[in-house]
Amino acid sequence: MCCGVSKDTAKLRPGKGRPNKIMNAQTAIEKRLIHRFGETLIGPADDSFKGFHVRLDLPKERIPELAQLLHEAGCFLEYVTAVDRNDHLELVYVFGTYGDPARIRAGVRVPKGETAPSISRVFPGADWHEREVFDFFGQVFSGHPDLKRILLPETADYHPLLKDFRAPARLNGMQGPERP
Amino acid sequence: MMTAEPITLRKTLTDDTFFLNMGPQHPSTHGVLRLLLKLDGEYVRACEPVLGYSHRGHEHMAQNRTYLQFMPNPSRMDYLSGLLYNDAYCRAVEKACAIRVPERAEYIRAICCELNRISSHLLWFGSYVMDLGGITPFLYAFDDREDVLGILNEVSGSRLTYSYCCFGGVSRDLNDPFLQKLKAFIPKMRGRLKDYDTLVSKNIIFIKRTRDVGVIHADLARDYGLTGSTLRASGVSYDIRKKEPYGLYPEFDFEVPTRPEGDCLARYQVRLAEIEQSLRIVEQALARMPQGPICAENVPQYVTPEPGDYHFSYESARGQVGIYIVSDGSRIPYRMKWRTPSFCNLSILPVLLPGTLVADTIAILGSLDVVIPEIDR
Repeated sequence: MCCGVSKDTAKLRPGKGRPNKIMNAQTAIEKRLIHRFGETLIGPADDSFKGFHVRLDLPKERIPELAQLLHEAGCFLEYVTAVDRNDHLELVYVFGTYGDPARIRAGVRVPKGETAPSISRVFPGADWHEREVFDFFGQVFSGHPDLKRILLPETADYHPLLKDFRAPARLNGMQGPERP
Repeated sequence: MMTAEPITLRKTLTDDTFFLNMGPQHPSTHGVLRLLLKLDGEYVRACEPVLGYSHRGHEHMAQNRTYLQFMPNPSRMDYLSGLLYNDAYCRAVEKACAIRVPERAEYIRAICCELNRISSHLLWFGSYVMDLGGITPFLYAFDDREDVLGILNEVSGSRLTYSYCCFGGVSRDLNDPFLQKLKAFIPKMRGRLKDYDTLVSKNIIFIKRTRDVGVIHADLARDYGLTGSTLRASGVSYDIRKKEPYGLYPEFDFEVPTRPEGDCLARYQVRLAEIEQSLRIVEQALARMPQGPICAENVPQYVTPEPGDYHFSYESARGQVGIYIVSDGSRIPYRMKWRTPSFCNLSILPVLLPGTLVADTIAILGSLDVVIPEIDR
């Protein structure tokens, strides 16, 4: 198959006619997702409005397992990012397919200061995405081949997208705006 | 950039190999990309891209201002297809806030965005051939691109970093100079595409520099999340305009050019074919455009999406732009993540370069069509 997308994944998208829940799934990949991750599914996902077709809420240990399953099913990694929820970080993994749209969003709650497993062995492209999350949020990924800053200078000692970050008057030797 | 720790690649040097710093001021890195190369004679053994020289913190800026105040930022991420980013941002917010865009505005957006896609591909075409040593096509391509910028300048008032789209439509209606220039441009561009075909596509030197160089297989492309024309040159017909259509794209008759080879020549051929497809879309939109309002009424000054998270995918000139917005119901985004296509497309470079010649490094890097400020954000 030219694009490496299995037929199963192509059917993953819930049709417009039927209720937008993966629980009504019939295809093999959907059955596998339910079989292995059924209890973590949260739905219904509203793809026309919020852009995700499937939503999962996972414990962090199961992320490599999900990545492996989706890699075998022909998905690609769109991005990894994080949201600072004040008491914890929510890591967001978004997978897509080159076939019919099936965007899978996996959310992972990680208490600040704890590590999360890297999926860069499954999806090599996750390497840079995880470095970016480390750069902006300070999240450490265990098993990452070379976890270091990617966009900010290596000398930086801050993680700017954390909600308690306040830009200092001088940053990397440059004068910033005056702050009260 | 000061480095606190030695770059990892330097640790692996042996007696046979040496280290070369390409960029961040090297002209063929198109902006400020720094490549650390481990060389064995003329052959690349390892490559490590160093990013962040034009990091401006757009995602941090987004969570410090209202949705409207963030409007000028997206077009400054990818300044070569700024209008596409401007449109993408507007569509993402419109989708999250359920704002409907009038039909005429949709047509205007389609015309202007496809023109911007053409100008972006033209700049890539000119600079890529110049990277490979041909100066003449660069001048022709920039001449054509100047026409496009002039056309868009008539209606938007800017040439590079557009803020033409607004929530609910566009800010100004099309005017006569715009339409006159556009009607003259379309046949001229078609003639130029023929010139490019004879001048470059059939040029034996160009073909020898690009054929079978930097081959990306579809499976490798998937591992690294490639999108856009870089992916379509590997035989995967993936275009958001077809797969998850937005705006009026389901109504237009256009094709998604693909090539099976996956080499630099295929990426070149796909992009030139896309110029023709964009011209077709512009023609169809011009013929069908109705009269009517150009912006939705009653769009609030402070748009506030319902609490929750939203994703929107958009096909820019380089691939899939993903905008992830987390709203807490206030006027200011709680979090905004931009998945930029060049970031993923460039991440494949460290596996693509080992074993190639230094001269091919330029050919491969150029063929990926990366815009560094889009990667660095």
